Formats: sequence, C-alpha cells, structure tokens
Amino acid sequence: MHPYFADGINDLTPFLPEVWRRRIGVESSWAQHVNAASLSLPGNTMYINASGSLRRDTVHDGKVPASDPEIVRRQLLDEYQIDRAILVGAPLLGLGAIPDPDLAAALASAYNDWLSERWLQAEKRYRGGLIVAPQDPQQAAAEIERVGDRPGMVMVVIPLTDILMGDRHYYPIYDAAQSRGLPVAVHPASTEGIFVKGPRMAGTPTYYVEWHTGLTQVHQSNLMSLVCNGVFERFTDLKYIIIEGGFAWAIDIMLRLDSDWKALRTEVPWVKRRPSEYVRDHIRFTTQPFVEVKRHDHLIALLDMLEADRTLLFSSDYPHWDFDNPTRALARVPDEMRTRIFSTNAQEVFGEKLE
Amino acid sequence: MKRLPVERVSEFPAGERRILKIGRRSIGIFNADGRYYAVLNNCPHHGAPLCLGSIEGTMLPSQPHDYVYGREGRILKCPWHGYEFDLETGRSIYDEKKGLRVKIYRVVVEDDWVVLYH
Repeated sequence: MHPYFADGINDLTPFLPEVWRRRIGVESSWAQHVNAASLSLPGNTMYINASGSLRRDTVHDGKVPASDPEIVRRQLLDEYQIDRAILVGAPLLGLGAIPDPDLAAALASAYNDWLSERWLQAEKRYRGGLIVAPQDPQQAAAEIERVGDRPGMVMVVIPLTDILMGDRHYYPIYDAAQSRGLPVAVHPASTEGIFVKGPRMAGTPTYYVEWHTGLTQVHQSNLMSLVCNGVFERFTDLKYIIIEGGFAWAIDIMLRLDSDWKALRTEVPWVKRRPSEYVRDHIRFTTQPFVEVKRHDHLIALLDMLEADRTLLFSSDYPHWDFDNPTRALARVPDEMRTRIFSTNAQEVFGEKLE
Repeated sequence: MKRLPVERVSEFPAGERRILKIGRRSIGIFNADGRYYAVLNNCPHHGAPLCLGSIEGTMLPSQPHDYVYGREGRILKCPWHGYEFDLETGRSIYDEKKGLRVKIYRVVVEDDWVVLYH
C-alpha cells in the first residue's frame, strides 16, 4: 500500500532539519513552476498512464489518494478485512536518482519520521517499510540503527539506483538489516530510463505501456546480480522482497541461470547451490499485478514452477490504477496456496514484527 | 422486466448520472449529452464500481503513430484499471467481439420521465 503526501514535499519539510529545508530551495508557490528553484522528488513525469495512474475512486473530498490514514483505513483495511497493510512510501521510491547522497539521506530520515508519526501511530494495522538512501551505505546502515527498532517497522526499503543489488556497495545495508531481522525490499523507482542515476532499462521505451511492462527487466538483472555475487551466502538470513516487480519472469531466469551455472560455476565458486534454490529460499515476490492467464492448467503450472506457495506475498498496490482486488485477483488460485499467499508467507518473512 | 421511473427529464441534465440500488444490484444511469444509458455498477474485470468512472470518447484503432479521437460521450472508463466499455453495447473496447462485457439496461424517455427497464 502506498501512502502519499497530501501536499507534496511540503508534508516532509517539518521533519527536515533547517539546513536541509534551506537546501531544498525556495518555499513559495511559484517555485514549483520554475526549474531549479525548488526540489521535486524524482519520479516519472515523462510517461503518462492512459488510465490516470491512480484509482479514481480513491479521491475523496478532493484529497490526494492515500494521503489520509483514516480514508485508507475505511477503503482498504475495513473494506477488504485486511489485518496488516505494509506501507511503502510512493513519493520516495525515486530517491536513488538523487546525485547528492547527503540530501538523499536527509530526505529518507525525514520520511521515516513522517511515516512513524502520521501513519504507524494512527492505526494498529499499519506496518512500515523504513526507507534508506542507497547512495551512501554507511549512512543507510546508521538510519537502520536509528529507526529499525521503532514499533511498526518491518522491513528496509532500498530505492533502486544505478548500481545492481548484488554489488558490495550494499553490504553494510544488508548487514544492518539482517542483524535486526529485517528483510529488505525493492520496488519500481519511477526513475527507470528517465534519470541517469535511476535503474537502467534495456533501451528507452517510447510509451508508458512499454515502460510499465518493461520494468521487470530491472528486477531480473538485480536478481541475477544478487545470486551471482553470493549475497545469500554472505548474508544467510537475508530475505529480499521484490514488490511489484512481477514474478512469472523469474521462472525463465531460474531455468537459464541454473543451466549456465552448472557449466560456468568456476567463475562464481561461492555460488554453492543451484541459483534457483537461493531464489526460493531468500527472494519473495509480491503478487500485484497478478497474471491473468486464460487456461487454469497454465496458471497452476506457472505457480508450481515458481513454488508460489512459498515465494509469493499478496499485495494490493492501493491506490494505483492496477490495484489488485483481494477478493478477485487470486480467485483461481487453489485455496491452500491462496491462504499461504495472503498470510502465512508474510508471517514467515516478517515474523513477530507483524503481530 | 420491471419498469422504474428514475427522474423527470428536466431534473436530469446532460453530464449527470444517478446510481441506484435496486435489490442487490447497483445500476448507474447516465445522461451522456442528451442520450440516456444504464449500466450495471460492477466491472466484469475486478468488480470495481464501474459507474464512478468517466464518460469519454476513445482513441479509435488507427494507423501506427496516428491518433484519431472519436466516440465522444459513448465510452465509460472504469475508475480502477481504465477498461473502456461502450455504453450502447456494454462491450469492452479492447476486443468488442470476444472481450469482457458489462450488463446494460434499457432506459427510455416516456412522458418526460427517464425510465429504466431492469
């Protein structure tokens, strides 16, 4: 679930130290219309979604969708009898594209304080992903120390940047997360192919629909990077959650990586087991947007090949346009597997922090 | 088939809609530029409240890199995933032959009243 700011970056400024409030530029309404006058959090202003990007019916009283914890409580938690909603702050997902590592770190800290105060304290069913700026892993580890034990924090969201996730650059972050029993999570950044320090896609798409469907490329590369760099041999308790990155593609990657590894393992001798085993043991995929497969036997085969009863976690992506209705999206999944996807797998990944 | 007078024509101007609960169903009635339509308020895709969507035209199937906008006022766009449905037929625009369909109802003007048959 994506909480949004009611008034853009102005929601965050009260949580920023004064030096950083000064740093992010002019505070007045005209500044938003003049480039370089004030900071806009990096995101996708280039590819426009023909369906409007957010569910129209999440706009209430003219408010920005998902900016009011009370409305979300009613429209998502109560409506669908959701026990726990894990919050992933939409406006900060592009943080990894900011060139100044200190600015990015300051924004991440401000966000974590905003999240704690405005959301996690407002409703017992909310849980939070604390965000760290990926540019400076030492500052990121310090932020995990600072807020990782706060009530309601259940994972570390690492905004994607132009370094693949298996790179040793991230190890201080993985170390800090693992020490605290926190899984790490990634999500499309909205900067893919748009900002130089965003994650790179294979080529520059022309249209939103290409761009959106193509976002899985980034997660494919990151998954292979993690496995081939031996991240899960180095951090044996680490769980890595791919939020909204798709999942069916992982079947292809696991098959081919397993084949290649059998022949080429001397290049990466620290990969001691089949690559697909690391995926099944350490990587989790959220379900949204779920696959709409015509034939039921195809759906079952796909879920089987992915070991979906272990590897999938339900997500709704409220309030986005491609929101998955919990009562419909997984209707064709066998009952036992669906229960695991809706709750058991999450309980196993997040442990007692979910309670 | 039941007959339900909805509203006087004079009280139901163009651009407005009514969403009625009739038994267990929710049905939306629209005045799209003088023409009346009625649609089940339940998207066949994921069950969204379809009748909260916008009435628009659409980009018609065209030659590569060409945009032709048309069917203005004839298309209901679902507020969730943006699926488009033709108000006259209930068929989805992505595949009007074999794609999803939403239930539509007959609505006519009789003696200055907008009347729904359901």
